[in-house]
Amino acid sequence: MCELPSCSPGDTPFAAGLAEIRAGRRTVLKAGGAGVAFSTAAGALGAASASAAPPGTRKRAYVLVIDGCRPEEIDSGLTPNLAALRGGGLRFPRASSMPVMETIPNHVMMMTGMRPDRTGVPANAIYDRKLGETRTMDRASDIKVDTVIERLNRKGYRTGTVLSKEYLYGVFGDRATARWEPAPIIPISGHAPDHFTMRAALSMVEELDPHLMFVNLGDIDRFGHSDFTGTTVRVARKLALVDTDLLVGRFVDMLKSTGRWEHSIVIVLADHSMDWSRPDRVISLQASMDDDALLGGKVAISANGGADLLYWTGPASQRTQAVKRMREIALATPGVLSAPRRTDQWLRLGPEAGDVVVFCKAGWRFSDPNPITDNPIPGNHGHPATRAIPFFIGGGHPRVPSRRASSAHAKTVDIAPTIASFFSAGTPRRGWHGTARL
Amino acid sequence: MSTLRSPLRRRTVLAGGTAAGAGAAALVASSSAGASSAAAGTRYFKHGVASGDPEPNRVVIWTRVTPTEASTPGSGKGPKVQVAWEVAKDRDFRSVVRRGTFATSASRDHTVKLDVGGLKPATWYFYRFRFRGSVSRTGRMRTAPAARSTPGHLRFGVVSCANLQAGWFTAYRGLAKRDDLHAVLHLGDYLYEYGPGQYGYGSDNVDIRKHEPRHEMVSLADYRQRHAQYKRDADLQDLHAKYAWIITWDDHEVTNDQWKAGAENHTPGTGPGGEGGYAARRARAHRAYDEWMPVRMDATAALGDGSRLYRRLGFGQLAEISMLDLRTYRDQQVKTAAPTPVPALESEVNDPDRSILGRRQMRWLKESLSRKSPQWKIIGNPVMIAPVTFAAVPQELLAPINDVTGLLPDDGLPYNVDQWDGYTDDRREVLAHIRDHQIKDALFVTGDIHSGWACELPYDIGADPVVGDSAGVEFVCSSVTSNNLKDITGTPSRTTSVLVEQVILANNQHIKYLNFDDHGFSVLDITAKRAQMDWFIIGDRADRRTTVRHTASFATRTGTGKVTRVEWPVGQAVR
Repeated sequence: MCELPSCSPGDTPFAAGLAEIRAGRRTVLKAGGAGVAFSTAAGALGAASASAAPPGTRKRAYVLVIDGCRPEEIDSGLTPNLAALRGGGLRFPRASSMPVMETIPNHVMMMTGMRPDRTGVPANAIYDRKLGETRTMDRASDIKVDTVIERLNRKGYRTGTVLSKEYLYGVFGDRATARWEPAPIIPISGHAPDHFTMRAALSMVEELDPHLMFVNLGDIDRFGHSDFTGTTVRVARKLALVDTDLLVGRFVDMLKSTGRWEHSIVIVLADHSMDWSRPDRVISLQASMDDDALLGGKVAISANGGADLLYWTGPASQRTQAVKRMREIALATPGVLSAPRRTDQWLRLGPEAGDVVVFCKAGWRFSDPNPITDNPIPGNHGHPATRAIPFFIGGGHPRVPSRRASSAHAKTVDIAPTIASFFSAGTPRRGWHGTARL
Repeated sequence: MSTLRSPLRRRTVLAGGTAAGAGAAALVASSSAGASSAAAGTRYFKHGVASGDPEPNRVVIWTRVTPTEASTPGSGKGPKVQVAWEVAKDRDFRSVVRRGTFATSASRDHTVKLDVGGLKPATWYFYRFRFRGSVSRTGRMRTAPAARSTPGHLRFGVVSCANLQAGWFTAYRGLAKRDDLHAVLHLGDYLYEYGPGQYGYGSDNVDIRKHEPRHEMVSLADYRQRHAQYKRDADLQDLHAKYAWIITWDDHEVTNDQWKAGAENHTPGTGPGGEGGYAARRARAHRAYDEWMPVRMDATAALGDGSRLYRRLGFGQLAEISMLDLRTYRDQQVKTAAPTPVPALESEVNDPDRSILGRRQMRWLKESLSRKSPQWKIIGNPVMIAPVTFAAVPQELLAPINDVTGLLPDDGLPYNVDQWDGYTDDRREVLAHIRDHQIKDALFVTGDIHSGWACELPYDIGADPVVGDSAGVEFVCSSVTSNNLKDITGTPSRTTSVLVEQVILANNQHIKYLNFDDHGFSVLDITAKRAQMDWFIIGDRADRRTTVRHTASFATRTGTGKVTRVEWPVGQAVR
């Protein structure tokens, strides 16, 4: 028996995945000797193998997302393997996450090459107007556009996802030809520790050898969120950096020892960085909105750490006036950095993000609707103070420049076009929002 | 900067200095001419040629014509004349790409200044002027890289504080000998207002050369004549001819410790010693500056259309330079003279209503820092932004340190109220903006303080030793000639200053390098991976043929906001 995620009953992504397997819509593959489980859509691997092999099939692309890593942490001395990988290839010192600087939207941007006004995924959590409640964007149907995973699948390449977080597992669903079924899962954080995630990544490469593998390593983010020494010495965070770096080193060693390195690109980036706040620097806007004569009872808020999404739920005829008032109240609140209209073109967030996006200053966080209970954790992201990310491309493939740096502004949305360019997999009919970086 | 004219005893031995016999890194700056024969066109073009504010498609070029013997600078005499100009791709002007004529007259002191457009990015050009069959010397300039390009590196000479009375401009000569720069950054105090005997070499204010006119510059004619005198310096002419300059002013371009409505060295009124209204004096200084300097004011090379000097210059996606004006809009410095009580002093420097930038320039600076295009946000910063605090400095050294830096009031409090330490709310706002937007690679390049510094910029200096978060980095160049600590104390190099430096370094962990003793120039090299500043020092300022050598290098790796020592300077240095 393969070890499957221990998930509670209900409509969680892991539960849904388990249901698919039990219903026979997905096949569980036993990989390696450590109980690592992968699943695939019934017959998918066979179909990929049987399709016409595209040219250059020795090429491999690995995307390692060091979730929540700050770029300067690669210079901290705690991550020698990441530093070596960065130093040996092509690095982009000026790289950034895109609004809202949260995990799900930026992973989706990586795999679609498009901004949220096309992907439909602007934040980790939205207020779902149809449901009339806030929810996590963890459904496979939340992504409205094609991903580079599916693009490669259609061309006969094998793809794999090794995603440590439950909501990433959910939103990318069964798009890859092979999917890791994460286990074990830490109940509160909803993620698999990096040790297990990397073990799965190594097994997937050795057993299934996907052309593209998309890996999320969640420990640095998760330990950052809960690090109550975050505003000062960041003890837990630093321990996670050391551990995850060792695992990345192990992955690179595997590529080199198995002869894959010369044919591979290894893209390393973060989805966002991290900022820490004290308990006295918490912003809660719900009460202020509810106290207002115009807005009272007609504003829903979806809190995303360092960003609040505000939704006008009253009459459409009052929307313009309501947006103006929401912004006034937000901007008058201590700790608020800015409150742009969601429709501001630079945000490119789409209607799922509501009417007003409120960002906090560095060292603050949102907790809505309840100022005490909804967000007690010190580490947060989503606001501009968390937009800088590490972004570099290593690997031994000849297309990877050696020991180069580029001052071009790289973004999370550049990953899909870079991979598509590497595999000569074409471009979407309406083009990418990102830029190929090789 | 503050230039208190100290009565301290002049040291007795000044010859030799630090330059000679400096080993493999020793660099000899000869006094030979620079880019082209300085003798060319000396009949009509006595003040050399210059270029500045390079953009991808345009550069400002400058000269001054002397059409008649009577048409001396500031004289108001001489006819209206036409001066021809041409820009070519080659030194021999076989491939002229732009040419034209420029009308000038006594109304603009016979200066010629125009913005030459239609050029190609990242390209070397040569330019010259013609008048009545005489040809000026040839100048050389390089356009900036195209906006979306990613240049491999950028390299700038960095200078500030060139007091002609205090010595020879060997630092300019050292830079002019290099062939590996793209432009020169001048952080201010390009010239000084004092008359002879007022601010010269060392504590006795010996004039190595005497200022002209022979009194403090106050009138428009005074300012024009002083600019003209500086432009006659051969080393200055060579460096102007060799590279485009990117310049801002500090206080001495008008007068010492100027602020928006006055200055320490300005006596208002018409009574004895009165120098008239300050606004009028500053307007005259700005007019002469606009005439004589290769800069765009209010974004144009035209005269009289505005005096806004803060501006941005882009260098592809690698860097953008934002040159600040920290004099025209600032509030008055806090009074530090005893018996100002400590609490009052502290509250004033922190007053959020006081500004060193002014609100408009503050918004502009924050825009500069937030701009998405450039990797390195280089701030041309006339006065130091890094905080400097002190615990214990020997009392006998307080006066000389203050004389050079203004860092220490007599009671030892940690403020130089003329720099950002005197306007802490503006600094807090700038650093908070950097933090709120997680802006990386903010690099302040600074002059003013007659000493070399390499500093990190802690968000919270109290928490810095534990947290170590830094908003960016500041590199401070030394002065070309203006007095530093050893000049004031009259002690040998690397004696008294070493103690002071060690005290400051011990009390300010974010400061990684400090040199209070030497004059010279710096070279700033920018790549996508790091920014490096090299400090070069000269020997005795009084010796026209003194030598130049490398003394220190520090770098900041991209994204870190941290400073580390580097063993070697970039490129091949001065030969």
